[in-house]
Amino acid sequence: MDRRAIGNGHLWGIGMSELVRLTEITKVYQGGVTGALNGVSLTVEEGEFTAVMGPSGSGKTTLLNLVAGLDRPTSGSVTVAGSDLGPLGETALARFRRDHIGFVFQFFHLLPNLTVLENVLIPAQLKSRVSSEAAGRELLAQLGIAELADRYPAKLSGGQQQRVSIARALINRPTLLLADEPTGALDTRSGDEVMELLRQLHRQGKTVLLVTHDAKLATRYAARVVSVMDGRIVDDARLETADREASDVIKVRGEETR
Amino acid sequence: MHTDHAYRVWNCCLSLKYGLMGLLAEEPLHGYEVKTRFEAMLGGTWEVNIGQVYTTLQRLERDGLVRPVGPRGDRGKLLYEVSEEGRRVLAEWMDQPDSGPQELREDIYVKLLLAARLANGDLAPLLSRQKRAYLQRLRDLNRLEERARRDGRSDLARLVRGALLHTEADIKWIDELSETAISGESE
Amino acid sequence: MTAILVKAIADLRRRRVQAVVIFVTVLLSIGTGTMAVTLMSQTRDPYQTAFQAQKGAHLQVTFNPKTDPKLLAATPAAIGASAFGGPYLATGLEFKYGDRKYYQNTFGRDTPGGAVEVLKIAGGRWPRANDEIVLTRSFAELNNVPLGAHLRVTSVPQTPMLTVVGEVIDIDEGSADLSSQHAWVLPAAIPALTTPDSRFYAMDYRFPGDPTSSQLAGYVDRLRASLPPGSISGSVNYLLIRSIFNITNQILTGVLSAFSVFALVATIAIVAVLVTGIVISAYREIGIMKALGFTPAGVTGVFTLQIVIPALAACLLGIPAGTLVSQPLLANSSHALGLPYTPSFSISLDLLILVAGLLVVVVAASLPALRAGLLKPITAITNATAPRGGSGRRVRRQAARLGLPRPVILGIGDAFARPLRAVLTVVTVLIGVATVVVAIGLPRSFLLINNSETGAGRYQVLVSRSDAYPDSEVMRILNAKEETARVVAVGGQNVVIPGISDPVNTRLLRGDSAQLGYMVIAGRWFTAPGEVLAPKGLLQEAHLKIGDQVTGSVNGEPLQLRVVGEVYDISNLGRSLFMDLATMAAVRPVIDPFTYYVTLKQGTDVNAYVGRVAAAQPDLIDVHASDTSIIAPVKIIDSVLLVLAAVLALIGVGGVFNTLLLNTRERVHDTATLKAVGMSPRQVIVMVAAAAGLLALVGGLLAMPLGLILHHMLNDVISSSAGNDTPPGAYAVFNPLELGVIPLLAVAVAMLAALVPGRWAARTNVVEVLHSE
Repeated sequence: MDRRAIGNGHLWGIGMSELVRLTEITKVYQGGVTGALNGVSLTVEEGEFTAVMGPSGSGKTTLLNLVAGLDRPTSGSVTVAGSDLGPLGETALARFRRDHIGFVFQFFHLLPNLTVLENVLIPAQLKSRVSSEAAGRELLAQLGIAELADRYPAKLSGGQQQRVSIARALINRPTLLLADEPTGALDTRSGDEVMELLRQLHRQGKTVLLVTHDAKLATRYAARVVSVMDGRIVDDARLETADREASDVIKVRGEETR
Repeated sequence: MHTDHAYRVWNCCLSLKYGLMGLLAEEPLHGYEVKTRFEAMLGGTWEVNIGQVYTTLQRLERDGLVRPVGPRGDRGKLLYEVSEEGRRVLAEWMDQPDSGPQELREDIYVKLLLAARLANGDLAPLLSRQKRAYLQRLRDLNRLEERARRDGRSDLARLVRGALLHTEADIKWIDELSETAISGESE
Repeated sequence: MTAILVKAIADLRRRRVQAVVIFVTVLLSIGTGTMAVTLMSQTRDPYQTAFQAQKGAHLQVTFNPKTDPKLLAATPAAIGASAFGGPYLATGLEFKYGDRKYYQNTFGRDTPGGAVEVLKIAGGRWPRANDEIVLTRSFAELNNVPLGAHLRVTSVPQTPMLTVVGEVIDIDEGSADLSSQHAWVLPAAIPALTTPDSRFYAMDYRFPGDPTSSQLAGYVDRLRASLPPGSISGSVNYLLIRSIFNITNQILTGVLSAFSVFALVATIAIVAVLVTGIVISAYREIGIMKALGFTPAGVTGVFTLQIVIPALAACLLGIPAGTLVSQPLLANSSHALGLPYTPSFSISLDLLILVAGLLVVVVAASLPALRAGLLKPITAITNATAPRGGSGRRVRRQAARLGLPRPVILGIGDAFARPLRAVLTVVTVLIGVATVVVAIGLPRSFLLINNSETGAGRYQVLVSRSDAYPDSEVMRILNAKEETARVVAVGGQNVVIPGISDPVNTRLLRGDSAQLGYMVIAGRWFTAPGEVLAPKGLLQEAHLKIGDQVTGSVNGEPLQLRVVGEVYDISNLGRSLFMDLATMAAVRPVIDPFTYYVTLKQGTDVNAYVGRVAAAQPDLIDVHASDTSIIAPVKIIDSVLLVLAAVLALIGVGGVFNTLLLNTRERVHDTATLKAVGMSPRQVIVMVAAAAGLLALVGGLLAMPLGLILHHMLNDVISSSAGNDTPPGAYAVFNPLELGVIPLLAVAVAMLAALVPGRWAARTNVVEVLHSE
């Protein structure tokens, strides 16, 4: 097992490029410490599937928001895909999100007045007038929901809505996929399906950053688990991926007799 | 030493005893068959010694819970079946819930208590290392579960799931301890 | 009950912007409404009161100088008058003051008092000597003739001097800018001021009760019957004077009433939209309130109260304000009536407006509030309150086909997401823009009419001659000047027309009168003697139409006339005639023109010309450049229209603003989502502005035909109240470019109004909104 010191952000990989770099991030909210980050540094390589884990209020969602450019740190720097987000204004940040980030939310956040296809196409339409309808339909097909293109979100199940949300996140071929508790509002089966989709996307080369409080979920899909607690990174574990014998993983022993 | 071995084996598990009985209740089996079948049922998570099996069968026979079918001959070829008394006792055992004390067998518990006393027993790194280990275990368990489901072994998958949740619980405990440790430090 | 009040006030404090919107909207509409109602209630009263107080004359009649005064003295008894004044010996007086010359009918009278037409002395005193004269205050003010001024009489050869010793208020005359005025001297002074042509007799009559127009016609007939034919040279009844006096206020009242109704409709729309919006945003809260024990009535009460409280405050400010603003208009009337200005309003009326206004607001608010009250608690707590999806889809598709940017498409798709709200908003915009159209159009129509009445662009110089100076001399002087391009001479005479009680004032024209700029509404201008034109009022009253022959009479002699056209003329509220001077060729005494309209050659310096003509005959003719400025009543109406346009446009803007505010707040979740997936702040503002723009465009486009129809209707109403048909040119005062630009302006204004809610939306904190579940 690869041992790293807590909070150490050094790179050891060869041939991989760094996609996200957070340096000494501090985030303070007025009126409370919830969600604050305190001296967080983190690097994410291209092509990694990283899970950020922690209890609620630990700052994990804030971390994700900072990477997406939805929020600004109180101090420290955020560099994503080569751009320092610090000096960017609101408009530039919006463009950055549009072009580089695919965000999948826990509660989907689809626009209720637009059809599924219209929802998916929004990021592309905000970018250019050139029609991306074909690309949108293809994405829907890849995600197994091609037939839902003209339906409205309210009529879809949670799992279907989350797939639409993923399609929307992918339409602009983002550099980075961010998922914030994507299965939180779903039943187990839909949740599994959604996570399988993320896994597939990762296998196709996408860099995924997953935020979750569920350790089972994190370790199932991510080989790297970053643990956040009280605004600090308390662990950054790169786990082994091996197929072990059952007996090496579980030993069942009954109760001993007296 | 034979006596030691026997003692140790003798002290092992009711669940082995009843497990074997239960398999025999399904159909009469040879000693070796019942070992194989037991191991298969546990999906590789419990490897039993053939000697243990025979000793257990002997004990069961002595208690009248199983009996050999057919003539006594070569031990390896002896077929065992379960008696009426055996079935009754088995049913009773199945009905009873596990109401004994929680068995916390892993070393972490003692290490934890020691760390408070020992000079080099710094709690936070200890917990963090343990968590790391648990995370790896969790990952391995996840992969095991996925394989079990793929192979159609739903009973094994259920077992693995239990293990997953236990480990998750352990992680949560570690997290809580870590939280108190951190806030303890910062006071 | 207290709980309801407490909750309502707490909610109000939270929703300050909405409270302000309600306050301003109700203030504006109640204010205009109060103005209208106050004017309406007062219009007839002051005149009537003053009329009775001064024992005004129901009928004023002038007689041929050959009439026997003894006969005249017997007429009151003969026709059944309850009181009378006169017979007065009178003369047409021309005098000069400063560089201006004036013509006034001057009456010989001992005292200002009497049984009829009591003259109220506003300054100075009654004449005591024969060289003293009293003028009306209205005339004195209009022409700046102070007490003690010396007037040089030019109508008699001796040109005596008269000193102005007093100013009176005569209830039987209109104001000096609209009607000719009287002057008074002692009876003994009259002979020295008379020429045989200028002399006449006059009598005033009062009748029991308030005679109607037909009754007055009857009296005049009886009077005519009791005297030799041709004795009556002219008559005026008090109803006409009153109408002329009141016409400004009447028009104003009409305009104000109509537009305050519109303002009220717009306010109702805004209130309904606002309350619906508040209810929607408070859905969950309603469920909680009900769970806490609020009854349906209680919940309805909470929401209604939130509206009623600012509305009440607005009424408490608006009703006094409206009453106050209407005072100057009333003061105008009072001043003219010679009444001391007392603030006139009625508390009971104000209270009525208060109650009615609040009632309207309550009803507008209560329907959506009722919906809140009847909501099932569980529905309220668990319901998602997003608007029905999909209603914008077709719009979006169309917009996409037009190649509009995506934020615009999303914005205009949103605009009609809640159809009822959108419609109500469009209504407020519609009302505002239609009012603006009218406020632009009517003054232009008035200007057109004003120009035709003052001959703007047709003639530049007005010359009038004294009786002592012959017509031929005036023509000689004028024609001698090479800058003179055209001279049209005008004379006047009263002609009796069958069916019309008072002899009709007739314009007798010599020269190329068709060029004077009178607007011919139907038929054509006269080309020969005997052909006449008249305004609608006269044609209607005399039951004449174009082509009809009619026999009038002048001085008792018949006159054959044929109607060839309908003309626009508001003097005497449409009771006038236009004909060739030659029509009167056979009439004795000979009628000569006394006014000359002179058109100058292009590029002539008008003032220089005036100076030179005046120099040719400084005393006996009056020369001045024609005054084409807009008469006071029109100025007043124009300003009121401007204010109304501002008020209703403001309400329209308020409606759009209100709706956008509600929409952006309801959609904050969607806005946050859009920002999260990459919509920039500017794109958000564009999205909001696009919605505003579409609503304003629809409202503006619909408002154009409506505004034009209103403009048309108001023109007709105003013209007919002045006894005329609307001249066709008055309708078409817009050029097509303007009609296209006005809706675009509405769009621009709406988009400006959208900036505030737009920026609020653009600043949405995505993290807070999306992650706070």
